[in-house]
Amino acid sequence: MTPPTEVPSIATPPAASGKNSLPARVLAGLLGFARRSPLSAFWGVISLSILAMAVAAPLISPYDPLKSDFRRMQKAPDEINFFGSDQIGRDNFSRVIHGSRISLTVAIAAVLLGTTLGSIWGLASGYFGGRFDIISQRIIEFLQAFPDLILAMAIAMALGSGTGTVIIAIAITRIPFGGRVIRSVVLSTKELSFVEAARSLGASHLRIMARHILPQCIAPFLILATTHLGVAIIIEASLGFLGVGIPPPTPTWGNMLADALNAGIVPPWWLVLFPGLAITITVLAFNLLGDGIRDILDPRLRGSV
Amino acid sequence: MHSYIIRRLFAGAVTILGVSVLVFIIMRIMPGDPLTAIFGLEGMTKLTQAQRDSYMAELGLSDPLIVQYFNWIADIARGELGRSFFRAESVGEMIARRGPLTAQIAVLSVILSWIIGLPVAIVSALRPNSIGDNLGRLVSITCLAVPGFWLGMLIVLALLFGFGYRAPLTANGASVFEDPWTIFQMVIGPAFVLALGQAAYITRMARSSLLEVVREDYVRTARAKGLNGRLVITLHALPNALLPVITLSGILLGFVLAGSIPVERAFGTPGLGFAMFNAVKERDIFVMQNLVFLFSVVFVFLNIMVDLIIAWLDPRIRYQ
Repeated sequence: MTPPTEVPSIATPPAASGKNSLPARVLAGLLGFARRSPLSAFWGVISLSILAMAVAAPLISPYDPLKSDFRRMQKAPDEINFFGSDQIGRDNFSRVIHGSRISLTVAIAAVLLGTTLGSIWGLASGYFGGRFDIISQRIIEFLQAFPDLILAMAIAMALGSGTGTVIIAIAITRIPFGGRVIRSVVLSTKELSFVEAARSLGASHLRIMARHILPQCIAPFLILATTHLGVAIIIEASLGFLGVGIPPPTPTWGNMLADALNAGIVPPWWLVLFPGLAITITVLAFNLLGDGIRDILDPRLRGSV
Repeated sequence: MHSYIIRRLFAGAVTILGVSVLVFIIMRIMPGDPLTAIFGLEGMTKLTQAQRDSYMAELGLSDPLIVQYFNWIADIARGELGRSFFRAESVGEMIARRGPLTAQIAVLSVILSWIIGLPVAIVSALRPNSIGDNLGRLVSITCLAVPGFWLGMLIVLALLFGFGYRAPLTANGASVFEDPWTIFQMVIGPAFVLALGQAAYITRMARSSLLEVVREDYVRTARAKGLNGRLVITLHALPNALLPVITLSGILLGFVLAGSIPVERAFGTPGLGFAMFNAVKERDIFVMQNLVFLFSVVFVFLNIMVDLIIAWLDPRIRYQ
């Protein structure tokens, strides 16, 4: 546990000055990260490249992902269509690249939204305790009685299809995790003497939560957010595959796999292989990066599930 | 033990009640009429208001929400799970016909996940941070990143192009006792794919649990009396290390039930997962509502069973 004297320094960083400017400190931090765990740094670079690919998708992809070329329908990979083309002549390579945009947007937005909501809930219920806490715990238990994908599927179906819906559906499945973890952090933090000191000085509940307890929750929050990105990507792809994700023709990896299966009895291998490979590599990169970040932020958790 | 069972069952009943309310709310916030799902947008415009009202009344959807909820609960209590919008079969019949297949997939996948996961964990825990340990960890991390339904599609394609083999899509109503070979071919693919994901978690949990147990005194005693290292692990350490793995297996059943939806779709297996896929595609809310509820009840119930098994195996828990 961080000693209380360090808490203000998190809230108010020292003023930036020449040598100790923000970019320099960030760079030093990143180099330290790379030195301490080179493997996670490698996967961090891969994750960043995927992120860059998503941002620069229109520049990288050789063709318009929505445009059909009827002279080249269902062609195997060659030098014109690197990953082949689909049943209506759209370039598979361009579609896989554009698919990363939706996957990453949805995963990042959903995890941030769900973890943040869950954390605020956990913070409040852990801090105030009492009846509010008991009811909150019950509701979280009800939410966890649904397997993730089934809950997301039911919500996505109920709200109708669209990017916002998918984000909300996945975010709701992430709330219990944020709620549980942050609550347990708060429960142990609020008994510490610096919180008691703040309270005896007459600090309000809001001030104690924001200035004294919240900083202790930042590391667990970051761990939760990064370790759940991979799951969110898989749920998004599954929703797309089941037809309750982002509606076509928007290329998402899940939609592309669903299209491949819907098009015929035997889907061409290139339409199956590449989108799934993209999912696997992205999830692998994010999971390993998340593991690395967790090891650094919380060495006690090293090697656990 | 009795009081523990009663407490656990009571908590489970409360959870199931809460789940039923949540399922009901989710299924009733759907925008637009359920009639649009039945008649289509074009068909809707041809219906008069009176026709719409009578259809809604017939479906029981024009009652106040609270009445609808209690009607639904009463129906479930009577064992009537409602009808699909589109199929002649009632939901109950559908579950009876398709359920066994999904149950067999789930059971087989749990067995396979132990068969795959435990040996890897034992090898890893015998020599932590060795090449074998790191290799095992790499494989399990990769297994977690592979979407099951995609692996399923690849397996179907590979078998088809490599061996010209396609698993049968139906057993023509035969049960596993009448036609075990056909059923086995139908369930082994989905079960294997679902087992891989679970095995990754099982390996991680069994490895860390084993590493913890081998530090205990009784294991040191077993070593000190000269027992072979492998025997110490398998006979002394493993039984205790398995307790958290059993609990994890129960939680992972949720993963299997949910995973069966896209995986059965990928393999074309006609189980409950496929039924769920159809219900979602057709916006068939009654089927969806009952199946989601059924899956959650099964999940909660199996976890209670797992907790009771753990309490029976480990007296420390039931006396807390």
